[in-house]
Amino acid sequence: MAPKSLQDVLDAAGSTVELLRNSQLGTYIYPVVPAEFTNWRREQRAWRETAVLYDQSHHMVNFFVKGPDALKLFSDTGINSFANFPVNTAKQFVPTASNGGVIGDGILFHLEEQEFVYVGRAPAANWLQFHAETGGYDVECTYDDRSPSRPYGQAVSRKYYRFQIQGPSAWQIIEKLNGGTLEQVKFFHMGHLGIAGEQVRTLRHGMAGAPGLEIWGPYEQHGKIRDAVLEAGAEFGLEPCGSRAYSSNTLESGWIPSPLPAIYSSDAERAYREWLPATSYEAVNALAGSFVSGNIEDYYLTPWELGYGSFVKFDHDFIGRDALQKVDPAAQRKKVTLAWNDEDLATIWASFLDRDKPGYQFFDVPNANYGSSNYDSVIDADGTGVGLSLFTGVTANERRGLSLATVDPNVEIGTEVRVVWGEPDGGSRKTTVEPHEQISVRAVVSPAPYAVTARTEYHGGWRTAAAGAR
Amino acid sequence: MTDLFLSGPGAEGLLRGLAVNSFANFPVDRAKQFIAVNHSGQLIGDAILAHLDEQSFNLVGHPMAIDWVQYHAETGGHDIEVSRDGNSIVRAGDPRLFRYELQGPTALALVEKLTGAPVPQLGFFHMGHLPIAGLQVRAIRHGMAGQPGYELFGPWVEGERVRDALLQAGGEFGLTQVGAKGYSTANLESGWVPSPVPAVFTDERLRGYREWLPASAAGSLGGSFDSADIEDYFLTPYELGYGRSVAFDHDFVGREALEALSRTPSRRKVTLVWNPDDVQDVMGSLLRPGLPAKYIDMPKARYALFQVDRVLHGGVTVGQSFDCGYIANEHSFVSLAAVDGLEDGAEVTVLWGEEPNSAKLQVEPHRQVPIRATVVPAPFVQYARESYRATH
Repeated sequence: MAPKSLQDVLDAAGSTVELLRNSQLGTYIYPVVPAEFTNWRREQRAWRETAVLYDQSHHMVNFFVKGPDALKLFSDTGINSFANFPVNTAKQFVPTASNGGVIGDGILFHLEEQEFVYVGRAPAANWLQFHAETGGYDVECTYDDRSPSRPYGQAVSRKYYRFQIQGPSAWQIIEKLNGGTLEQVKFFHMGHLGIAGEQVRTLRHGMAGAPGLEIWGPYEQHGKIRDAVLEAGAEFGLEPCGSRAYSSNTLESGWIPSPLPAIYSSDAERAYREWLPATSYEAVNALAGSFVSGNIEDYYLTPWELGYGSFVKFDHDFIGRDALQKVDPAAQRKKVTLAWNDEDLATIWASFLDRDKPGYQFFDVPNANYGSSNYDSVIDADGTGVGLSLFTGVTANERRGLSLATVDPNVEIGTEVRVVWGEPDGGSRKTTVEPHEQISVRAVVSPAPYAVTARTEYHGGWRTAAAGAR
Repeated sequence: MTDLFLSGPGAEGLLRGLAVNSFANFPVDRAKQFIAVNHSGQLIGDAILAHLDEQSFNLVGHPMAIDWVQYHAETGGHDIEVSRDGNSIVRAGDPRLFRYELQGPTALALVEKLTGAPVPQLGFFHMGHLPIAGLQVRAIRHGMAGQPGYELFGPWVEGERVRDALLQAGGEFGLTQVGAKGYSTANLESGWVPSPVPAVFTDERLRGYREWLPASAAGSLGGSFDSADIEDYFLTPYELGYGRSVAFDHDFVGREALEALSRTPSRRKVTLVWNPDDVQDVMGSLLRPGLPAKYIDMPKARYALFQVDRVLHGGVTVGQSFDCGYIANEHSFVSLAAVDGLEDGAEVTVLWGEEPNSAKLQVEPHRQVPIRATVVPAPFVQYARESYRATH
């Protein structure tokens, strides 16, 4: 019988790790948006030097929740405090499983009284939908799925367009669109802006210390709003950013997009696994990298390991609370950036031209990840595992290979470690992998975010490790 | 690609008058690589011409040759009906035809399994029908550098059905779908130069044509070759290896010039295998201080419609390098080039990057660097199979 649920898929597979490591999904695609409008080096430079227009309309799920119990749904599933979450604010919402492992994270917008939207990868949206439908909540939900990875010329439609205007010149562009000075509301506070005759909703955002805005509205207005913003921004050097550069911006800002959801093993999540379809993200996603453990739980990450320790608030009851209360924050791994050794990375590239050897696992630029979730072993001089490297690529701004990682608490900034690039035993059967050898790449443990300005000036939450409740 | 459909009593005559190719043996159900030149014998473009039916033809490819044919059909043709289906960059809505290439060593076995019959005995560029998914699918016997295969085409609405049937049958034969990135490198193995600069920019006799062409037809020029005279970029059919296609059995635009050119030595089309260390230096320059070299994208590094890089030997310009990219099958970075009197094995230098940098959007600030390269035959794939692997 064909598997219907994730649980069926896991039962048939035997080993969850082997199932996901040999997923036939292919690379994790940032769909529909053109790969490059100019070229990815120039687009990366623009977010550092002038301004960019990110098009986030297609790669994330929108999960709308409305009704008397809406806030309770989020409060019951999020590690975050909801003590102060009025309408027109947003927060980075992080749900955990009963075992305390992170399921995913995304932005939660408080749109109206009793009305919210979660925007992010599928795992947290699926988890919310399950609890909304089975937990006896008085809510109405709408799941607006991300656009297809390979639309192949077919028409694509979403509920919202979603853009960000970011970079050092972003605010000048925003004020020009507004027709005058605009009060810089606080980070993650929402407002309105008039663009091309439309009232557009905004979320105050920022990048590397410079204020920016996320804007959204009906998808039908996508072209009109985009044209107006690009036209207004031209004199300030605003550049549209393609999907190729887009996914690499997080290497500089330090957000880890792709933890493996911690839902595969615990008994408490069995009902969820039976509810999740066999075609869900959780059942088909590709697990990539040199870190291989027979125990799927070794891939789970706590909020502290992803830099979300300051979000954990025991001022409310939530799934995972008991497990997280037992955690010693001081013993947790910490989020860092690894600055890859230039010559070692060049050696990987050179191997593609070596006709005598199979070569190393392909390292694409600027995004080198070859699965939905990427787990590379970080080892010390003795070859002992001291962490996991979770998202890898290149930034033309820093002229470096960078990866976002979580490492043992005693690993100091400035330490040289090694990242093992490529999979053991010639590689898994993923469609993104050809036969290859592994290589240990030297890397220097560095702060996250790597961009120095962001570390000191970026407002909110984990970026400054401030004690804020976001 | 762009499709041009021509029909009517005047169609074949018009095509013949613009083609260097012979039409002496070109009945229905044959195809050929149609090559057009200007009055001076310089290349305008090439495309695949299929003889679909009595007085009915389909020309498929880049717009350069197709524009030229359409212009003559519309302005000087008699008894011809022309219709054009632009590529998906310019077309609104669905294409008129689906078009697939089924290629590789197991392609024939796959077709036999799929159709339940021995494959039709078709010569190269001969056409027939294959029964697939309950449809009679038009097929051109094609082959990429010696490997047998088919080009399949038909009404767009049938495309998905045909594709599904191919993929379903293809599993046991290792059939793999090729994405746009991989596709763009197939010509580097087979030795086809996709978009030479069309020789249409100067000749006074072509003024009418230039006035007819839309502004968007100008294209973009990239690379280190930097003559101010656009005619220095023009090529003859001989330089791109099309000498065998030139037939003086009919009258055509450029015939007299080509007759003269056929008696003089010409550059020849070759493959250049780029030095791995030099390519590594270029890629690594992305990570090192200072102005980087022009970025090499994988697997295709060409950064303009018309890529023309200078090729030097002993400090002297000896040719032009065109399309360039990576062949994973051979772990090699190669380009297709036309060079003066150099033997296989000769060492040359390709200048990589523009000096000064152009203003094209896809060009980032960079410095020009020399890249050593070795002259080997084109098509590279045959050479690689027969001798390269044995000696390297």
